[in-house]
Amino acid sequence: MFDFTKEQEMLRTMVREFAETELAPKALELDKRGEFPRDLVKKLASLGLLGISTTRDLGGSAMGHLAGTIAIEELARVYPSVAFFLEVGTGPVYAISHFGSEEQKKKYIPPVLKGEKIMCIAATEPTGGSELTNLATEAVLSEDGYVINGRKVYITGGGVADQCILLAKTGERASLIMVERGTPGFTIGRRQDQMGLRSVDVSELAFNDCKVSKDSVIGKEGSGFPIAMTTFTVARPAIGAIGLGIARGAFEIALKYAKERVLYGKPIARLQAIQFLLADMDSEIDAARWLVYYPGAALDKGASPRDIIKASSRAKAAGAGVGVSVTLKAIEILGGNGVSPEYHLARLLNDAMELIPATGTQQIMKIIQAGEILK
Amino acid sequence: MPIDIIVCIKQVPDPEYFDKITLDSATGTIRRTGIPVITNPADRHAVEEALRIREEFGGSVTVLTMGPPQARKSIDEALAMGADRGALLCDQVFAGADTLSTAYILSGGINLIGRYDLILCGNETVDGSTGQVPAQLSEFLGLPHTTHARRIDMIDDRRAVIERVVENGYLRVEMELPAVVAVLKRINTYRLPTVMGIMEASQKEVLELGCSACESLGMNSCDMGLEGSPTRVAEVFESPQRRRVEMLTGEPQEIAKQLVRRLHQLDAL
Repeated sequence: MFDFTKEQEMLRTMVREFAETELAPKALELDKRGEFPRDLVKKLASLGLLGISTTRDLGGSAMGHLAGTIAIEELARVYPSVAFFLEVGTGPVYAISHFGSEEQKKKYIPPVLKGEKIMCIAATEPTGGSELTNLATEAVLSEDGYVINGRKVYITGGGVADQCILLAKTGERASLIMVERGTPGFTIGRRQDQMGLRSVDVSELAFNDCKVSKDSVIGKEGSGFPIAMTTFTVARPAIGAIGLGIARGAFEIALKYAKERVLYGKPIARLQAIQFLLADMDSEIDAARWLVYYPGAALDKGASPRDIIKASSRAKAAGAGVGVSVTLKAIEILGGNGVSPEYHLARLLNDAMELIPATGTQQIMKIIQAGEILK
Repeated sequence: MPIDIIVCIKQVPDPEYFDKITLDSATGTIRRTGIPVITNPADRHAVEEALRIREEFGGSVTVLTMGPPQARKSIDEALAMGADRGALLCDQVFAGADTLSTAYILSGGINLIGRYDLILCGNETVDGSTGQVPAQLSEFLGLPHTTHARRIDMIDDRRAVIERVVENGYLRVEMELPAVVAVLKRINTYRLPTVMGIMEASQKEVLELGCSACESLGMNSCDMGLEGSPTRVAEVFESPQRRRVEMLTGEPQEIAKQLVRRLHQLDAL
């Protein structure tokens, strides 16, 4: 069992209370409207939730990666869209704070942690998300900077972000390039409809002769792919944390229902068919906890992103899997009410399904995991 | 005009788990084992009010609680909200204190802390719900007090105007400071701790005060804890809740009339 610090326990209590008071009353309405709750970004920032694992000199609190995982899990227990927003935000901040120049760190990170700016990473292209070594989007170096042409799809936060870190081919290799919203030639395409995480903006982005300065590259030119892979390795466990939070939320709904719903003269929790489901859900959640918490705890203890590649992919797959599996069982316990929106399980299942392809499908995670096992 | 404020807080069983609390009729106590604890809800509003006053006028906020070592968690939460320091009154001698003894011990803690212009409490706790401690505390300290405060306006560091809720309205009470004020939950919306607040809480000073520290003020340990408590629980018993459902039908106005009639018949009105 993980031995959380006093600070981590207090953080969990604080985020849970925030989620219960700020998100729970609005969850159904936000989900129905499918709106991105921009005002919530300011609230997350004012609580310091956008900079949990960022160093203090850049405006973060340096509480650590495991603390970040805990916060995301607690938000997801109530409204996964907000947890996903937080997860998506960690990637760009990590990439810049670890690979950007001092100037880039100071320019880009503090406004994001204050909730004044939103950043996204644009990697996936219409031809596929997991084959990032074969990019069609290209940035060609000219005298006064890079000229970018290409198209990105399924970009989380793409439609609302003020800045976009773009993965584009620069010669033989790829680079990460910062593109500000409003830059001529950078257009935001249609918002892509999704079955879940309805409050999260997912949009297409297009770059047509979009010019940016030479100093827009994050890290060295040509280092985009390894930086992106490192960033995904660090950010992926948070997807697992969202799945874990969804599973816990669904389990709590099902448990309460099973104790209150009377059938055959007794609460259905006393029927073995229901008990089997509850026992399985309990085991799945606790098993996933260990896998989801481990990568963040390892990073906090000094492990490098390279050291947690297996643990990171495993955490994502396990967390996303348990999110779907436990929520389905919860729906079975609630019967007809399980698919009624007012019981929240339908929403949670849709949200959990969104996690399956996020940052790479379950199969991609297993390929990464197996690659590490077979080394 | 900096204002030094002491806020008395209490750790209580989480009301979410009240249905799991059972009674021990042999000892006349409630079984709290396994019941999560939280800071008494009204006390969090008292902490918030203290922080608000400090932010406006300067000064300091000290949180004080009496309880077992785990009551430190409530102090930590208040420190994470922004309080400057904490004090925990913790001693076996304090165990089993009723409201009078609790107020006596808290008065010792307050005198040990020393400097204060204002003492804030939650109006009542969710476990005992007596609401007696603030008034008793003010008597031990020889200070004026008011309860049921919905608003506090500081005139200067010697005077404050309190809006005190009474039936069908409120009273505006001008008080000389120092004073004890017990606040209602409606007085404000309390802030959540921030991540940085949580990180900084562990760096803040927390005094640990026991019986001997109180005795150094000339207080008598015979007036503390169970021994010093004149209140004795005669009996505890569970009151079984029985539900009966009656469905009323008809138009809303007719249902309302039926409802009033039935409530009169049941002597509920």
